[in-house]
Parts: sequence; structure tokens; C-alpha cells
Amino acid sequence: MSDEHHSGHHVNYLTIFFVLCGCTALSVAFDVLQFSKPVTMVLVLAVACAKALCVMMYFMHLKFEGNWKFVLLAPTTILAIGLPLALFPDVGSSYYTSTAPQTGVWSEEIAEYERHHKAETGEQK
Amino acid sequence: MSHSAKAPALRMGIPIPNSKLGMWLFLGTEIMFFTAFIGSYIVLRLGSRGWPTDYNDTHINVFLGGVNTFVLIVSSYCVVVAHEAMALKNFARARSFLWVTLILAFLFLGIKGVEYKGKIDHDILPGRIPETASQAVKKVSTQLEELVRSRFSRYIAAGVVSFKQPDDILTVANLIREVPSGTKPGVLTNEEFEQWRVSATTDYALFLKWQDLHEHVVAKVSLKYPAAPAQYLDARGQLKAGEKPPEITLDETKAFLAEMKQNPDYGALVSAHVFDPHPIVYGNIFASTYFIMTGFHAIHVIVGMILFIMVLKQGSALNEKWTDWVENSGLYWHFVDLVWIFLFPMLYII
Repeated sequence: MSDEHHSGHHVNYLTIFFVLCGCTALSVAFDVLQFSKPVTMVLVLAVACAKALCVMMYFMHLKFEGNWKFVLLAPTTILAIGLPLALFPDVGSSYYTSTAPQTGVWSEEIAEYERHHKAETGEQK
Repeated sequence: MSHSAKAPALRMGIPIPNSKLGMWLFLGTEIMFFTAFIGSYIVLRLGSRGWPTDYNDTHINVFLGGVNTFVLIVSSYCVVVAHEAMALKNFARARSFLWVTLILAFLFLGIKGVEYKGKIDHDILPGRIPETASQAVKKVSTQLEELVRSRFSRYIAAGVVSFKQPDDILTVANLIREVPSGTKPGVLTNEEFEQWRVSATTDYALFLKWQDLHEHVVAKVSLKYPAAPAQYLDARGQLKAGEKPPEITLDETKAFLAEMKQNPDYGALVSAHVFDPHPIVYGNIFASTYFIMTGFHAIHVIVGMILFIMVLKQGSALNEKWTDWVENSGLYWHFVDLVWIFLFPMLYII
């Protein structure tokens, strides 16, 4: 199906729709294929970025809008990227304090937790 | 001097309708709103030494998440087609596609509800998840206590026993123990009192089981070790130098609870009110981030639905005056889809 936009540009929305569906299937496939965690993370986030670009450019018509889109979206993009970057050093300071049981008796508790987890999921102890 | 030809009106600012400009500015703030949550999630996750990812811990269903992603993509497509139809003044077609979008939004929330129910049924809620074996054991004791207290409060409310301090569970328990052999209060009929007598025996037995577990949890000793104050002190006195009593374990608490759930008198009550102990390391922070992100996203879905309902309310009177409204609602809806595009891999896959 082909649709004619009122401002003159020509977008086949159905193609975009199928691309988005394909990307979603790809994300699930990356989960099923069970790559290493960092590889999966990079792959699915790359697919998510591709999907987001498709939605913004074609469904939200940003591809066909004037230069005002840069003026309007640049500050928010900078702030949106800046916020996680500003928070990032907090990765070093764990959410739980060093006296929390999760960290204080970590090895013992983790061992017991994993033992039970294996027992519940039917794996070999 | 006069101008014979009309000069084109000088137009200042951005060449888009004010409503569209307003919507884009609003979406700019929304981007930062969700980035704050997503950024915090990334920082908390990377800053934690562990994170629950197994289905038994999180009850995250990748299939349902995938279906919801598909639902939102279809709805985004429908909105863009509806906007196109509005621009071409084909209002009937626009209405049809907006109806489909609205139904898909309901479907999305329904699936999300199923997912939420899975978590609520397993008590995977912020602040309620035991993260260590000792917390899991304590939670069983706390939930049993809540059950006992709720059972006991019925006796005071019905006037079966009368006591000015209902929170004093030990005294109330002693009063309830006396009910089967006691005299009938004037406010009750013989039939009612007979039912309370039977119930009192069961509830007192339930209280004794909770008290037994509670004493072991407080003393931090194995269920095989005496924990009642006098016997505990006696047993401790017999320990050799440097010897410690065995600690209560998750295994024996599980067995204790399983036995309670088999009891013909109060087993059904215990099954309904006490969760099987299942410690989930970093479960609370997982649940907090999951619910705050998906919860705010769901609120945005509901707002989008309201926007569509306002258009659909026009029925066959829908006209070109609503074109900008549909375009702006569409932009909002695509943004809701965009947020989900990132939430799905981060919460369901990674």
C-alpha cells in the first residue's frame, strides 16, 4: 500500500510497518540465540535505535520537516544524553550500603540462594 | 502613496501550527522524563553486584512483551494512516483506523495487566521481596503473624472475646484458647457460638505454629533446636565452649510451611496468605525500576487513549478542524511507541 502525504512527500507506511515488525522479531531472535550478554546488549539496543529512527523519520515525519526540528530537538537531546552521563559515575557507588545483607554476607547468601534456585528450576544440585 | 497589490503577510516563527509546536516542545520534556528513568535504571543495574534475570525470579514474559511491541507498532501504523485520511478529508477511514488504534491500546493494557498480575500473584513488588535466605524466613513469620492477627481481630469485632488492647496478641490468644470451654457471650446465638468454638480451636493451633516459628526466628536457631525462652536458655547452658546452636535455614522453613499448608484445618488459609519463601537477590530494586518505567508508560498509553476517544466522540461529525488534533495525538502516540521500543529490550531481553 502506498500513501500520499498531504505535504507532498511519498511514504509507504506499510513498508515501514513491516521493517518495524522484522526488527522486533530480530530482537527476540537475539534473545533466543543466547549470545554472550554484552553482545546481546549491543545487538538489541542497535535494533532498538534502528526502530526508533524509523518511527521518528517516517511515522513522525521528521524526515520531511524543516530545520526547526534541529532547533527544537537539539537541547532536549543534549540534556537527555547528558543526564545518564552525569549519573554514570554513580555506578561506582552501589545502591546497597556495604552493611546491607546483600553485600555483607554476600557469598553465604548467594550460595544458599543459588542452591535453592537450582533445586527449584530442577537443575542438578 | 498606497500599495495596490497586497503584500504577503509577514510570518514569524516556526512554519508549523502552534499546536504542533506545543506538542513537540512537550515531547521534548517527555524525552527527558523517560531518559531520567532509563538512565537511573542503567546506573542502578550496572551499580548492582547482581540482578534477577531468570523467569522464576522476575516473571518477565518475553513473549507477552514481544506481542505488546507488535500491538504498539500496529497501532502506530493505524494512527499514521488515520492522520493521512484526515488530510485527504476521508473522515470515515480516519475514524475506522482510530477505532483500531483505541482497541489495540486496550489490548496493550490488558496484556500489561496479565503481566502485572503474574508479579502481584508472586509478590514481586517493591519492598516486599526477600533478598536473602534470612529475609525469606522472616517474611514467612511476618506473613503468618499478619494472618493470625487478622483471624484474631474477628473475635474481638464479633464480641466473642473482649479485650481493650487487641494488639496484645499473647493475651488475645489466651482468651481465644478459652473460647471452646467458655460461656456464650450474650451477643451471640447458640449456633453462632458453636461456629466460633470450632474456629477458635483452629485459630489457636495456627497461633501456636506461628509462635513456634517466631521464637526460632527471633532466637535465630534451627527449628530442631528449642527456642521457647526457658528451654532455649537450658539448651544453651549445655553447649560446650565455642559451640553455637545451629541456625534456622531456608530449607527447614520451607518444610515447616509446606507441612502447615497440608493441615486440613488451617492449610487453605495459610496457602492463601503466606507465600512460599523465595529469596531474590536485588529483587526490590528490579521491581522498583520495572514498575516505575512500565507504570509511567502505561499512564501515557491511557492519556493517548483519552486523546483518541475525544476524536472518536465526534462520530460522523468529524471534520477537518480535527486534523491538527489527530496529527498531534499521533505524534504523542508514536512517542509512546518509541519509549516502548527501548523498554522492551532493556527490561525483557537484556
